[in-house]
Amino acid sequence: MTTQISHVNLQYSHTIGRGEQFGPGFTYPIFVARGEDDLMYVLCRGTEYRPEGTRITVCTVAEDFVSIFARGVTQQGPHEYNMADGALVWPTGLAIDSQGNIYACDEWLNRISIYNKDGEFVGKWQENPGSGDGQLDRPAGMVFDQQDNLYIVDGGNHRVQKFTKDGKFLAQWGSLGDGDGQFNMPWGIAIDKQEDIYIADWRNDRIQKFDSDGNFLMKFGTTGSGEGQLNRPTGVAVDKEGIIYVADWMNDRLQVFDRDGSFLLLKTGDATVSKWGMDKLNANPEMWEERKRAHGLEREKDFWAPSGVTVDDQGRVFVVESTRNRVQVYQKQGATFLGIRL
Amino acid sequence: MADKDFALMAHLMRRAGFGAPYDELEARTAKGYEATVEELLHPETQPELERDIMMRYKTEWVSQAGLEGQQEEWTYRMINTKRPLEEKMALFWHGVLCTGHAKCEYPKQQQMEFDMFRFQGLGSFRELLQGLARDPAMVFYLDNCMSHKGAINENWGRELLELFSLGVGMDGKENYSEDDVKAAARAFTGWTVTSAIPRYPYGRYETRFIFDPNDHDNDEKTFQGETGNFNGQDIIDIIVKQPGAARFVARHLYNFFVADEPQVPAWKDTPPQDPEAIKMLEDEYFRSDYNIGSMLRVLFNSDFFKNSRFTKVKSPAETVVGTMRLVGDFTTPKPGMNALTLTIRYMGQDLLNPPTVEGWHTGKEWIDSGTLVERINFTADQVGNTSLPGVQAIINRLRAQGSTLSAEALVEGCLDNLGAYDITDETRSQLVELAKSEGEIKTSGPEFDQRVAQMLQSMVATTEYIFA
Repeated sequence: MTTQISHVNLQYSHTIGRGEQFGPGFTYPIFVARGEDDLMYVLCRGTEYRPEGTRITVCTVAEDFVSIFARGVTQQGPHEYNMADGALVWPTGLAIDSQGNIYACDEWLNRISIYNKDGEFVGKWQENPGSGDGQLDRPAGMVFDQQDNLYIVDGGNHRVQKFTKDGKFLAQWGSLGDGDGQFNMPWGIAIDKQEDIYIADWRNDRIQKFDSDGNFLMKFGTTGSGEGQLNRPTGVAVDKEGIIYVADWMNDRLQVFDRDGSFLLLKTGDATVSKWGMDKLNANPEMWEERKRAHGLEREKDFWAPSGVTVDDQGRVFVVESTRNRVQVYQKQGATFLGIRL
Repeated sequence: MADKDFALMAHLMRRAGFGAPYDELEARTAKGYEATVEELLHPETQPELERDIMMRYKTEWVSQAGLEGQQEEWTYRMINTKRPLEEKMALFWHGVLCTGHAKCEYPKQQQMEFDMFRFQGLGSFRELLQGLARDPAMVFYLDNCMSHKGAINENWGRELLELFSLGVGMDGKENYSEDDVKAAARAFTGWTVTSAIPRYPYGRYETRFIFDPNDHDNDEKTFQGETGNFNGQDIIDIIVKQPGAARFVARHLYNFFVADEPQVPAWKDTPPQDPEAIKMLEDEYFRSDYNIGSMLRVLFNSDFFKNSRFTKVKSPAETVVGTMRLVGDFTTPKPGMNALTLTIRYMGQDLLNPPTVEGWHTGKEWIDSGTLVERINFTADQVGNTSLPGVQAIINRLRAQGSTLSAEALVEGCLDNLGAYDITDETRSQLVELAKSEGEIKTSGPEFDQRVAQMLQSMVATTEYIFA
C-alpha cells in the first residue's frame, strides 16, 4: 500500500497594483485571469460614482502595464453607467478560451461579452435573463474546459450551466438549497486537469466538487473562522497537482486544501509596496515620511476580503483584493511525494 | 378618512422611522401603538440587514473608502432596515454630534462612529459622550489630537459644551463660561489618535484612540463650579448632571421627532414652544439616568407627540428614503443607488458631510426654490411610476374597492395610501376637481393606473406633503 503525502508551502512573491481610475492600477478588482506568456487580465468592478474605473486592465506578472479595455465609450460622464456593447456594469468573472479570446460576464446586464486578445470587442451573447435552460440570472464565475466549453456559475439561479463557446446551452445542474449538489448564491469556479469542476458555494460556506457532467463528488468547508472553515468563499482555484485554493472572503484569508478537501494551510497576507505603488509614493514623497510615522503599518500586509484567487501553470497563486486595489502573488513550493511512508 | 389608529401609526412610523407602506401600517395598527413603540425602542429584536449580500453586489461597500459609496450604503440601510428607529437615531446623532467628510476624508472611520450611534444611540447620553470623546473621527475632526498640555486647542472643548451637550444657554442665561471651555480643553489633553497610514498606494486604514499620559494636563481645574484634577471623563460626568444637558437633549429630541424648533444658537433666548413637553423630557432624563430610549418612550407615548402630525418639514433623507419605502424600490442592491443618493444631496443634505459642526439647519430651512423643485420632481417621478411595486399595490388596493370610484373616494384612498395625509379643505376640493375633470373613474383597464398615478403626483406636489 502506498501513502501520498502532499506537502505544500506558499512563498510570498510580490504585490501588484494601486488604486487608480486610469492607466497602471486597478479600481475594485474582482478577478484576475492569466493569459499567455506572463499577461494578466484584471477585471475591475469599479463604482457607480466613478464608472469610468470599470474596465479590464492588462499587465504582466512583473507589473508592467500593457493596456486597458472594456471601458466602452471613452467620454463617459460621471454617475452614469455605460451599457453599450463592449462595456461593463457589474462585471464578475473572466475566462479565456484556447484562442486567447477573453469572455467577461456581467451580473447586472446578464451578458457575456467577448474580446479578442488585443481587447477589441468581438461579440456578445444576446442578453437572455431568466431561469430557463441557457438563461442567466447574475452570472458570476466562469471557466473553459479543454474543449472550449464554458461553465458559468449562474448565481441568482443557484446553479451551474455549461455552454459551447458560441453560447449554445449544453447542460445545467443545481438548485437553491444546502444539500449535496445544491447551492446558495454560488460565485467562483475552477476546473482541474481531469475536468472536474469546483464551485465556491458562497452562502453555504463550502466548496463543492463535481465531475464534468455535474455529478456530485465531494464537498468541504463549514461555516466559521477556524482552520478549514469558511465565511462566504468567493473564489476557488485548482493547480495542476490538484491543490485547491480558496479566497475566504469574510475571514480575510486564503486557505489551501489538499485534493481530498483536507485543510493544508492558510495565509493572511504579506503585501509589500508594489512597483506602481512605489511610483505613486515617489510622486508624493511626503507620504514616505507619513509612512514612517504611521501607526500599525504592518496592517498593510493583511488580506482584506479577497474576492478571487487564480493559479497558473507555474504554481503562482494570485489573490485579488478589491478593497485594496491589488493582487498579492504567492509561489507554490514543495513537491508531491508518492511512495511508501518513510 | 383614515382610521384614527391607522393615522397615528403612520405618524409614528414617519417620525420614529422613515415611513411605511400601507400593509405594514395595517399590521402595526393591529399590533397596537404601544407595542410598536416598544419594538422600535428595542431594535435588537428585529433582524439585521444582510450585509454579505449588500457587499457582494456593491463591492465598494466593503471598503467604505469613498464618500458617495458610503452615502449609497447608508441610504440603502435606511430604506431596507427592519430596525427603523436604530437607523433614525444614527441620522439624528449625525446631525447633532457632527463630523464631516470634508475634513475626515475616510468614510469608514465615520461609519464606525455611526455604528456607535446605532448601537448606543438609545442608551445613556453619558456613555454616548464618553464614546464620542474617544471616537477617532471626532478626535480628528475637532482637532483634539492637536491639543497638548500647555498648548491647548479649544475646538473640541468648546464644541462639546456649545453644540454637543449644553448649548450656549437657556432661559436667558449662559450655560458655561470661557473658563469652562479652557478647563474642558485642558482636561482632554492627551486624548488623541494614532498616526494615520497615508492613502497611497492601498487606501486608508482606521486610526485608533489612544491616551497619552505624558501629554495630559493633570493639574487642578475648575469646571462648572467644581474643582479637581479632572480628566475628560470627569468633565463629561459633570456635564451630564447639568440642567442644561437635560434641556439640550430634550430640545433636540423634540425638534427631530415632534415639531420644528428654532436652530440651536437661538435656544438661549428663545424658549421652547412647548415648555411642558420639554419639562417632561427633562424629568425623564434625570429619572432614567440620562437614558435616551426612556426619554423617547415618554415622547412617543405623549399627547404632545400624538398631536403633532404634519408639524415638521421632512428632511431630504426622510423625503427620499420615505418615498422609496412607499414605492418599494431599491429593496435589493442595484445600479441607480448613486443617482438616488445624489438626490438627497441636491435637496440640501450631503450625508456624512454636514456644512459645519453645527450640522444642518432643519425645518423650513430645508426649503428654498431649488430644493423645493428637486423634492417635488423626485417624489412625483417616483409615485408616478406605475411599474414600481409599491405604486402597483396602491392601484390594486383602490381597484379592489369596486368597478368605479367617486372622485372623493379616489382622493381619500390616495391620501390613506400615502400614509393618512391630512390636507386643507381647499387642497382637497382642488384634488377632487382634478379627479372629476377626466370623467367617470373606472377601475378596470390601464387608464385607472394612470389616474391614480396622476393623483399621487398631484398630492406629493402639495404644500402639505412637505410635512411629516
